[in-house]
Amino acid sequence: MRSVGDIMVVGLKDGFKMFGISIMTCCAVTVCNMFMNYYLDLTAVENLVTGEYARAFYDAQLMNSKVVCSVSGGCLLATTVIMLFFYIGHYINSHGMEIGILKALGYSDIKIAKGFSVFGASVFSGCIVGYLLSFSLMPKFYELQNEEGLLPDISPNFHLPLFLWTVIAPAGFFALIAVGHSLIKLKQPCVNLLKGIARTKGKNRNVKDKKNFISDMRSSVLRSRKTLVFFIAFSSFCFGTMIQMSSSMRELSSDMMGIMIFIIGIALAFTTLYIALTAVIKSNLKNITMMRIFGYSAGECKRSVLDGYRPAAYIGFLIGSVYQYILLKIMVEIVFSEIEGIPAEFNFDFPVFFIVLLSFIIIYEGIMLIYGSGMRKIPLKQIMSE
Amino acid sequence: MITVKNLTKYYGTGDNKFKALDGVSVNINEGDFVVILGASGSGKSTFLNVISGLERPDGGNIDYDGKKLENMNERELTEFRKNNTAFIFQQYYLLPHLNVDKNVKMGAALDKNKDYKKYIEAVGLGDKIKKFPSELSGGEQQRVSIARALAKNPKVLFLDEPTGALDEKTGRQILDYIIKLHKEQGFTMIMVTHNQNIAETANKIIKMNSGKITEMHENKNIKSAYEIGW
Ligand SMILES: Nc1ncnc2c1ncn2[C@@H]1O[C@H](COP(=O)(O)OP(=O)(O)OP(=O)(O)O)[C@@H](O)[C@H]1O
Ligand SMILES: [Mg+2]
Repeated sequence: MRSVGDIMVVGLKDGFKMFGISIMTCCAVTVCNMFMNYYLDLTAVENLVTGEYARAFYDAQLMNSKVVCSVSGGCLLATTVIMLFFYIGHYINSHGMEIGILKALGYSDIKIAKGFSVFGASVFSGCIVGYLLSFSLMPKFYELQNEEGLLPDISPNFHLPLFLWTVIAPAGFFALIAVGHSLIKLKQPCVNLLKGIARTKGKNRNVKDKKNFISDMRSSVLRSRKTLVFFIAFSSFCFGTMIQMSSSMRELSSDMMGIMIFIIGIALAFTTLYIALTAVIKSNLKNITMMRIFGYSAGECKRSVLDGYRPAAYIGFLIGSVYQYILLKIMVEIVFSEIEGIPAEFNFDFPVFFIVLLSFIIIYEGIMLIYGSGMRKIPLKQIMSE
Repeated sequence: MITVKNLTKYYGTGDNKFKALDGVSVNINEGDFVVILGASGSGKSTFLNVISGLERPDGGNIDYDGKKLENMNERELTEFRKNNTAFIFQQYYLLPHLNVDKNVKMGAALDKNKDYKKYIEAVGLGDKIKKFPSELSGGEQQRVSIARALAKNPKVLFLDEPTGALDEKTGRQILDYIIKLHKEQGFTMIMVTHNQNIAETANKIIKMNSGKITEMHENKNIKSAYEIGW
């Protein structure tokens, strides 16, 4: 937040703090650019592809590129939009006081909202890194895609339209969305922002009494930030989908594809989980501190603040497992059915499922324990010096 | 009975090292109402936080009926707070997403106290039990925090400027509630305030300056919240 004399409400620094968005867009651009670049370079040599078998392989490669690009790109795009909305809402809530003062002083919504366009910067930085990353991976990727030498040897070329579509367009698009969404969010009386009513609006419902206070607290924490439930579910969805898919991809496609999907899965899962948990802890810091001051143990605080998300996490994981199975089954039947040497049948891999489930349980519960024990170290005095 | 001996507390390090508490000793009896007075920055809050186990001292002893606070580990301190203390702050610090009832339940649950609704009645909020903090006035929020503190049946109640954010009329009313409940239940009460006049409601008055106790005396002429100037 800048000084009142400054029109820019959100600083460039805030934009870069949204590294979650950067990681997301970096992944998306890496994958999409690599496959699209390959797609474009491949279509350029279409005339040189001869022979029925090579032709089928060529078509499959094109199809493969389109599928991977739209599945991962679309998935990541949707997530980035949701994440951006979440960040903006979060930012406006946690800076309600300052924004309220600006509004009270007579700053117009649009003047304040314009500042949010710097979120486009975090998108841009992610895109540009992803773009460069994809080019550094491309030579190896091209080589592996054509391991059997069925297609003419091609090397990566630069395509200007692709650069515009994967780097410039997203940055501009997200800057616009950020301004638009913040305009909607800012449209409320400044007293609400000042008093923090905006933060609690629609979230404070009287619900039935639970059997103990910890359960009451747990359900109120869940209700107060519903997007976070989605994030945590999405995080484990990514973990479940991508890790299991990567194992299948190593057999179906190449090691490289498998490893790439594995890395994207891990990056997505941990980034979203980190963002969600940090937000949960941050927005509940005062409450946790107050509970600790009154004599609730760190374990009880953890149970009331974090444990409510467990069902969402496990459901996300299960949905992800089913989703990747269906997706791969469809892909195998459409893309690979015409090529020999690849099994046209695809079955659910139970051993892999159980291994991934086990590691999921260990990682998820481990992270929760780490965050829980962090609650023991919250300086209790902090709350009084704000 | 609380016995505090030679308490010291430092903030910062090196050239910035600052002695916030400088050899503070005091005895507080069960059922006492102690008021701590002093200028801003004199170390009142620091003293309160240290003797209540929210912060650790750098030297000295804090003894609660033979239990030594300075020797306890984090878990024992939590257990100690759970069984003995409650707090009321200037800024209320209610849980914003919970209604009045649940906010008070937060304190009550620590004492397994199912009969906590009477405290909400006692602070005159029986008709606002389903309201959320953002729907209450400052004075009402502070009353909720009083009910929350008392619902856990504390042996010692710590208050840091409980009326600091309130106007005179509301402040008096709050003070009156606190004093009434103190009389009824007989817990020990230690209150920090800027307001000289509030001290006249206590039976023990401590004055602090630059981290030291400069004056300490019993008050023979205890007044009610409505008899003092403000
Ligand atoms: N965390 C800290 N780090 C450094 N100095 C601190 C810290 N907390 C308090 N101090 C300093 O210790 C001194 C005593 O602070 P304390 O909060 O106890 O004062 P106080 O008497 O409660 O004042 P007030 O009436 O304004 O609340 C002050 O000079 C303050 O600047
Ligand atoms: Mg103070």
